Amino acid sequence: MMGTKSSYFVAVILSIGIHAMVVLAVLANWEPESKKTIVQPQYIQAELIQLAPKKTAVKKPTTKPSIDQAAKKREADKRRAKEKKIAQQKLEAQRKAQRIKNQQEAEKLRRAREEKQRKAEQERARLQAEKAEQQRKQQTLIVAKEDKQAANSYLQLIRAQLSQQWNRPKSARRGMETLIELRLVPTGRIVGVKILESSGDMAFDRSVEQAAYKAEPFSELQKMEPRIFEQYFRSVKIVFNPKDLRL
Amino acid sequence: MSEENLSIVSLILNASLLVQLVMAILLIASVISWVMIVQRGIYLRNAESDYKNFEDTFWSGVDLNNLYRELSQQAQENGGGQGIENVFRAGFREFTRLTQGDGTDPDAVMEGTDRAMRVALSREEEKLSANLPFLASVASVSPYIGLFGTVWGIMNSFRGLAMVQQATLATVAPGISEALIATAMGLFAAIPAVIAYNRYAAKVETINASYETFAEEFSSILHRQVHSN
Repeated sequence: MMGTKSSYFVAVILSIGIHAMVVLAVLANWEPESKKTIVQPQYIQAELIQLAPKKTAVKKPTTKPSIDQAAKKREADKRRAKEKKIAQQKLEAQRKAQRIKNQQEAEKLRRAREEKQRKAEQERARLQAEKAEQQRKQQTLIVAKEDKQAANSYLQLIRAQLSQQWNRPKSARRGMETLIELRLVPTGRIVGVKILESSGDMAFDRSVEQAAYKAEPFSELQKMEPRIFEQYFRSVKIVFNPKDLRL
Repeated sequence: MSEENLSIVSLILNASLLVQLVMAILLIASVISWVMIVQRGIYLRNAESDYKNFEDTFWSGVDLNNLYRELSQQAQENGGGQGIENVFRAGFREFTRLTQGDGTDPDAVMEGTDRAMRVALSREEEKLSANLPFLASVASVSPYIGLFGTVWGIMNSFRGLAMVQQATLATVAPGISEALIATAMGLFAAIPAVIAYNRYAAKVETINASYETFAEEFSSILHRQVHSN
């Protein structure tokens, strides 16, 4: 049918148009949020200033007077004065050059001295850093040791509570040993208990498991530093072997 | 993923293949469903106005024979008639055919006419509700597809997180953001489809009901005619 065909055509065009518009809108709106403004550091242009002597402008003689004698005399005077001036200028220039030379040398010396100082300072800083590094290493070693000690004491605590809550099953025999894994959370609650190595006696294993659940929460763990907890107590493996069995 | 490039394009381009596939499926579904939405909208609006026009001419007291001839001619020109006209033509054609023979039973005539109109009606209903099942399935399925893409993407980004020592929000955030695009697209495809489906289904029902009413009325007119002879 003609009508349906043309309506399909219109529909396709409209649909694609709507989608294109949505995509464009999303693209346009999304971009600026994630754009980061990068602040460029302001550069200061350094210029080398030359310490050259300024050229002294040679004054041009002014207009000559018209009267001859006086003028001549004046001119001679002027010439003399000029010569004198030039000589003076020369002398001055020489002196200036000498001064500049001295200055440059002094500058050089100063720079060398500064360089030396800086190097020494760097060396010192390096040494210091090394020392600090060593110290830190030692510190971490010490901390690790202390952590281990703390962890051990907590472990003892857990073990003591476990054996306190333990009910001896009838089938328990001397030398039975169960390796259990407790999974703990920082509040001291148990989230999972797993028997890793059975003692060979189901009742014994179960009794240990029940003891663990009875003993929780281990509220002492709350006082522990999170670092130690994460390292040692997320999952604790405990060997349970009651030694006070008189059987 | 590069550190700060979180524009939507790079998010999509950096997504895993499966997520990209999901996104492509959803985009195609959305485009097609919009085609259906617009096309159905036009078609149903035309059907409604056609019905109104036909009813106006029908009840204006025009001679039914003339009307039938006119409509048949139009239908031949257009290659098949529209909506309610087809019902009228089917019924009237059957009626004239059955009454041409002498001594036919009026009840048999009415039965044949009704049957012909019923067939035409069901054909029209089929035409009206074409493509609506597609809209319904896009509406119900595309959120799930989008969700699947999101779950997959988040799964991957968390798997990546497991390898990292220092787990920060910044290591998962891009992956999750990328994955959530799939859900957004699924919803984007589904919402218009749901609205359109509900609307069009209701509209089809009303149009169909009015067709049926007309068929009944027309049938009663013919019934009067065949029994008065």
